[in-house]
Amino acid sequence: MILTVLKKDLKLFFSDKKGVLVTFLLPIIMITLFAFAFGGVAKKKSAPKPLGVLVVDKDSTTTSQELITKLNAMQTIRLIASEEGKALDLVRKGKNVAALIFEKGFSDAVATDTDLPIELKYDAARDLQMRIVHTVLKEGFKHHLGKADVINNVKLKTTSLIKESSTKAHPGLVQAVGGTAIMMLLFSIAAIGGGLLDEKEAGTLKRLLIAPVKPLDILLAKMGTAMVVSILQLTTMFVFAWLAFGLPIFMDIFSLILLIVCISFAVSSFGVLLVSTVKTRQQLQGMSTIIIILMSGIGGSMIPISMMPAFMQNLAVVSVNYWGIEGFFDIFWRQLPLLTILPKMGILLAIGLGMTLVSTILFKRNIIAID
Amino acid sequence: MIQVQNLSKSFQNIQAVNDISFTIKKGEIFGFLGPNGAGKSTTLNMMSTILKSDAGSIHINGKNSNESAKECKHLIGVVPQEISLYEDLSAYKNLLFWGNLYGIPSIILKERIHTTLELIGLLDRKNDLIKTYSGGMKRRINIAAALLHNPKVLFMDEPTVGIDPQSRNHIFEVIETLNKQGMTIVYTTHYMEEVERLCDRIAIIDSGKIIAQGTQSQLKELVQTKESILFEFSFLSENNVNQLRTLLPYTMTQNKNELLVEITVQELSAVITACNELQLSIKDIQLNKINLEAIFLNLTGKQLRD
Repeated sequence: MILTVLKKDLKLFFSDKKGVLVTFLLPIIMITLFAFAFGGVAKKKSAPKPLGVLVVDKDSTTTSQELITKLNAMQTIRLIASEEGKALDLVRKGKNVAALIFEKGFSDAVATDTDLPIELKYDAARDLQMRIVHTVLKEGFKHHLGKADVINNVKLKTTSLIKESSTKAHPGLVQAVGGTAIMMLLFSIAAIGGGLLDEKEAGTLKRLLIAPVKPLDILLAKMGTAMVVSILQLTTMFVFAWLAFGLPIFMDIFSLILLIVCISFAVSSFGVLLVSTVKTRQQLQGMSTIIIILMSGIGGSMIPISMMPAFMQNLAVVSVNYWGIEGFFDIFWRQLPLLTILPKMGILLAIGLGMTLVSTILFKRNIIAID
Repeated sequence: MIQVQNLSKSFQNIQAVNDISFTIKKGEIFGFLGPNGAGKSTTLNMMSTILKSDAGSIHINGKNSNESAKECKHLIGVVPQEISLYEDLSAYKNLLFWGNLYGIPSIILKERIHTTLELIGLLDRKNDLIKTYSGGMKRRINIAAALLHNPKVLFMDEPTVGIDPQSRNHIFEVIETLNKQGMTIVYTTHYMEEVERLCDRIAIIDSGKIIAQGTQSQLKELVQTKESILFEFSFLSENNVNQLRTLLPYTMTQNKNELLVEITVQELSAVITACNELQLSIKDIQLNKINLEAIFLNLTGKQLRD
């Protein structure tokens, strides 16, 4: 009897494709994501992509140049020659983890064995990468100059370009609030998009089509609903983060509002795209869970982007999460002016527009097709 | 009011509607009778402008439904087979929403909602959520939602599916009232009793083709079978039947103790007199009327509810 019931249950379980997909595929995706993020999956032959450190050689002597060449031969870091102003700007904008500056008199200091005029300026939001750079440079100096103490004895100045202050959010908090808010928003919007499928099943969509309403208007109205809910949800989450954790949301409220609107547009488009690609609620549930987890994983909602290997960082740019989280860092941590954040907002709008266009085609084919 | 010419529609390899033509006059109730999957709803969907035909044309009040879809949408009201209402909204709010889609000015719309709810007998329940309604009440609101913009033609796709006889009668009364007010009604169903009660003219559809159309009497003339009466006797021999044939000019078919005589009710007394003369004891008499079910069976060899 037990075997009969067991057989029946297994048969039912495996006939539910959505259930099977979520049971097996989702954990595989999660394991893969975390394995890549935390390391341990790189094959022996494939070394990780080196961290890009900007180097400003004001000394410009044979000694400094030789040292830069030797340091550059190390696998973990890649030194990129730059001008001081440009280098600092790139670090401030989060493009590079740090800038190593060789001041004038470096070669003299090496010759006279005095304090080395070197400074490492970095972005504290990328703490983990900074620690790697720090360790690698320490080894490099020890090996090539015989000066293991340059960093230990604070003879190499390390300065965070973006300092924590009472008016600024902690990068961990920005990551937690921004990452989680966008991921949860994706789930909410997928559920709202599902309402369209409910309308199809209930027959109200058919009645809408019978009325003098354009199909595109129905899609845009659904998207509008999703956008209003998105704006409200994100606003609620940021107000909560302000009240509970002191996230300084009024620091640049105009940029924050604009970014919330852009993220909401992109996420709402994602919701309608998702719903336009499927035909039933069941299909939507299975697909949305996997896609949202995957997108949030590679987009930095679950694990900070900086912890991920290079190929995943490259992949991240296709996700709404990435641009949204980066935007929040620009506002709350890097305190960049609106003009500098605008391109990220533009990308979010472009992603949203692209998804909306694809949705309109799929919507006609999958959702409003009457048979 | 409606002219349909050589209309066809197929889905992948299935020919849902196959070259059908018919005309519906202003103010009549036109019935589409056919079993499930016959092509009734597909035809109605094309007439409702939400499904494009592969071939043929539909003209509503002189307007081509493809070329003037928006104008046609204002001329027609559609009662879908599904209860197409928002369960978590009240009847009034549902009607307000559906009415607004037709751009009816607020004051006029509110008046129309009032009169429509009165017509369907649910004015006192207008503020109740649809989910609290019975199946029959939902069906009535489903009809009301199609009436708010005062359509000239009302398409009703099996509007009485799954409801009790009392609600069904209520819906019939609503349809009859609307028709008396001059509304043209196109009614699809697989219940022949509904068509017999409501429709002036009928199209019988099967496998995407109209196999017969006309008034009920015109359809009855199409079939060879006449009305008949089935007699059951305590005992009936072949000899008895031969004796009856000498007395009566009617066609008779014997099956054991049963005898099917092709006569009308008016001719019944003649058969009974003949039976008395031959001292045949009649146990039961059953009238086999010619109805649409019989016509459908005669034309297709299938039951309506196969």
